Amino acid sequence: MERLRRLIRRPTTDPNVARLQRRAALVRFIYNHIWIVRTLLFIGGYVWMLAIPSPELGRGTYIDENALQPAQVNTYWSWGEVHSADKYLAKLEELRDQNASSAARAEFIATEFMQLGIAAATQKYEFTLSDGSSAGANAYAISPSPRTAGNEAMVISASWLSRTGDGDGTLNLRGVATVLALADFFKQYSLWAKDIIYVISDGYMEGMQAWLSAYHETTQTNLRMESLAISSGTIWTAINIDYPGHSFSHLGIFHEGLNGRLPNQDLINSFEHISKYTGGVPVLLYDHGEPGDINALRSDFPWLPNWLQEAIHDQIHLKTYFYRAKNILRHVSCQARGRASGVHGLFHQFRIDAFTVFALPAQGPHGFHALGRIVESFFRTTNNLLERLHASFFFYIFASSTHFLKVGSFLPSAVLISVAMMFGGLKHWTDAAWHLDHLVAVADHKDGSSVGNTNQEKWIRRRRPVLNALGIMISTHALGSLLFLLATSSWWQMNNQQTFYLLFPVVLASPLIALTVRPTPPSVAPLATLLKALNLCFASTVISTTTVLNFSLAAVLAVLLGIPLSIASPSRSLPIKIGKYSCYVIAAFGWMVLTPAETSNAFWNWDILGVWFAPFVCLVYAPLMLQAGIVCLLPS
Amino acid sequence: MQAYLPARQFGATFTALAAGRLLLALAWPLDSLLYDQQLSSPLTSYLSLQEGLYLFSNGVDPYDGGSFRHSPLLLSFFSTILPSSRIGAQLLWTLADSVSALCLVTIWRARQRVPYSSRDAMIASLYLLNPYLFMPSLALSTSTLENTLTLVSLALACRQRPSQALLVLSFLTQLSLSSILLLPPLLLLLITDHLSHLASPKSFNGSLKRTLPLLGEFSLYFVSLTFASTVSAGSWKWMLQTWGASLNLPDLSPNPGMWWYFFTEMFDHFRPFFLMVFSVHLLIYVAPICIKFQHDPLYAAFILLGTLATFKPYPTLSDPGLFLTMVTLFPEVYPYFRHPIVTALLHLHASLLLPLFNRLWLTQGTGNANFFYASTLVFACSNGAALVDCIWAGLRIAIGEDKEGYHVVQE
Repeated sequence: MERLRRLIRRPTTDPNVARLQRRAALVRFIYNHIWIVRTLLFIGGYVWMLAIPSPELGRGTYIDENALQPAQVNTYWSWGEVHSADKYLAKLEELRDQNASSAARAEFIATEFMQLGIAAATQKYEFTLSDGSSAGANAYAISPSPRTAGNEAMVISASWLSRTGDGDGTLNLRGVATVLALADFFKQYSLWAKDIIYVISDGYMEGMQAWLSAYHETTQTNLRMESLAISSGTIWTAINIDYPGHSFSHLGIFHEGLNGRLPNQDLINSFEHISKYTGGVPVLLYDHGEPGDINALRSDFPWLPNWLQEAIHDQIHLKTYFYRAKNILRHVSCQARGRASGVHGLFHQFRIDAFTVFALPAQGPHGFHALGRIVESFFRTTNNLLERLHASFFFYIFASSTHFLKVGSFLPSAVLISVAMMFGGLKHWTDAAWHLDHLVAVADHKDGSSVGNTNQEKWIRRRRPVLNALGIMISTHALGSLLFLLATSSWWQMNNQQTFYLLFPVVLASPLIALTVRPTPPSVAPLATLLKALNLCFASTVISTTTVLNFSLAAVLAVLLGIPLSIASPSRSLPIKIGKYSCYVIAAFGWMVLTPAETSNAFWNWDILGVWFAPFVCLVYAPLMLQAGIVCLLPS
Repeated sequence: MQAYLPARQFGATFTALAAGRLLLALAWPLDSLLYDQQLSSPLTSYLSLQEGLYLFSNGVDPYDGGSFRHSPLLLSFFSTILPSSRIGAQLLWTLADSVSALCLVTIWRARQRVPYSSRDAMIASLYLLNPYLFMPSLALSTSTLENTLTLVSLALACRQRPSQALLVLSFLTQLSLSSILLLPPLLLLLITDHLSHLASPKSFNGSLKRTLPLLGEFSLYFVSLTFASTVSAGSWKWMLQTWGASLNLPDLSPNPGMWWYFFTEMFDHFRPFFLMVFSVHLLIYVAPICIKFQHDPLYAAFILLGTLATFKPYPTLSDPGLFLTMVTLFPEVYPYFRHPIVTALLHLHASLLLPLFNRLWLTQGTGNANFFYASTLVFACSNGAALVDCIWAGLRIAIGEDKEGYHVVQE
């Protein structure tokens, strides 16, 4: 009662004093409890991330763009067309058995197109890589639209190699045969409002990269290619057909593009709709089987104990959760590395919405008949487009082929963690400004700046020499870019092993100079605190700005950097310092030693396709980790 | 010998940075920078200058089409004495940057009343290395030249060369009309002094009548330059295309400022009213700031540059860049900043978000105009935070350091 009265009663003192006291109390309260806020934010962020696959967060897919009208047309693809596809397949198998060269294949396909009465040509290309070169030839044909001037186009493509095992050599003969038969079939219709471009690209990714570069007249230093003999207008949509097996049971959708770009969701939703209602073929995400198979669960999550696997299998909710988790993990592993999950991913860099239809190899029941009808109906749908697909439908995570998460239901998870890191950074920044002095005895009243509760302590303001900390940060980033330049230069690729053992330890040991830094006097903030403050703030900024661009990358960064950077702290004994530092160095550069295949793959992707993942890791991620390591080395 | 060390150090740093900057511009000529909307606006783009020059040399009036919005003075200079080749332009822009850096150092030396100091090298490098200034200069945006004229005019005023300072300012006003807001603080600077009186403010005791002849002189320069422009352009049409553009906002291509998005969303019948509001909004800062900082007109000019950078119709990154770099001239206010880390972090966010969201919208096609507008809002917030903090610190310094157990309260 007394407290209540004190609250209500107007302060008898000067209102300004009361205001100051209130403010000081508030600041003290926030300062003393900020760790609770930070912990809650961290927990909130990570729990949210774990909740992303939960069925409660997502919603069912729907068609946003009215013009698409999927599955609203009669399809005419029939057994006659299937027969023509079979005939093409027989010819292609003949070519395969003859071991025909790229040029011969491309020539054959272009001739077939021309025999259909469609303008066709071939394009030769050659990529010069640090370890040799890769050459090939594409064949393509352009069927002009009977209704318009040919300012817009849609692409239907098939690569010679299937995406099975990331282009491990499985041929996509049925995919190519489908495209040829479709070309024959489509040309009899006069309803096309856009040009249709048929592309049979050589290799797995390389051929399409060369063709798209030539189509959009971009240049690349390591690519020599012929320019295209025939051309059309702006390509709006593209579909890539991948049909490696004899028959298929499901159609799988692959949609991640280069640098984490996704196609417009409407396109995939329409396809799912058409496949289900026109073709009668169930659609899956990737090549993941349907949920509910205990063996699939065992192979996907082998680290779970046996009884838990069975328990999950019995619970419909948990089963769905784990099925979606598998899909989302696949998505994250692809998007975070900026890698395209199929040939379609190359289209995205030119603002073309594209995805790959993967015919899941099986004993049956579907084949050319179903696939042809679905693609026909899908082309009728994209043909309806009057304007580009809607801008708000690019940020999503598919949990299954019919469920997805909107941007608002996954983005905050990473942002919460980045906010927690930002608060941490700001707290250390404040810590750096004040020093608790025990020697000076002050009998004064407590003012806003004094947090101590005995009269023997006093808070003294101290200098914060930011430039030193910034210097360390800049030099770690310079170190990262040096490493990147080394790794991409051909000289490195030649003498990989020797230089590696020579330079790597030097690079990693150079921050040990930090051990020689002397402790600062009490009037100056310790370098470790300042560096940690700026490191946390910068890492938080990087994470929060990446979220919109590439959520998977931001989420991975939030997991990798969030807690580790926050717990970096200097210590007194040398072995502990070195131990902590080595942990951070392993986290920063360990990938170079532990996953050489992954590393060379990332550099290949940067060289050929311009995927930013490798430079990002070298220039941003690794230096941030290294800075945390240096914090551990510095005197407290 | 010892005493010359700072001077030698400054000379070495300055030469190295300017040479490095030129080398970078010549070694990696990046054409894509010329098209970047954050680095040059329709009023300052090098490409449209080239287009205007081409039309002009072929006998077509460049002010007919609505694509050329540079001043006739630039047109006549570039078609006669200044080089119009790319390498020549890179040389010219490097020279402009170097002159700006030198002027900044001159202002600093004049304000401190020292022939040279140990901070000279740092001040010059803060100008030459500031990415907000560096990138537009690489993109050959004429806003770099405007910055140079601003600094030259201020430096001349600090050296008490009234006629030259006013002439340079009238040139600047010809290039960008909104710079006329700098006239009042410059006149005050010419009749008082440029030393730092922030810590000990005194009310203005000079006579404002002394500004009248200076104002007359400025008007004379301004009118003659306007006349010269009209003669070289051949008609009065240039006025609507250049000065009129910053009042009518005919070109709504995106830029890091606050105007474009607002007017893309506006219904046509509200347009004149809001154009008036936005333009007058720029004016309302002049008198209060000049009155409040009457004891230190250089600081008033600095604050006005900040408001211009935040609110002017066609800003580029070089406008906030000039404001932020000029903070180095006033180290006395640093201890009184309230939230420098917040401002710095806001700027860090903005400078990452601006290019990313611009790319998301216009290159990658997954975002839309709202994304880029959101990032320009973050940018405006960070400029606003810097501006508010500079005003606060500039006034707060007069009260002095906190005494033990006492607090300064604003009522």
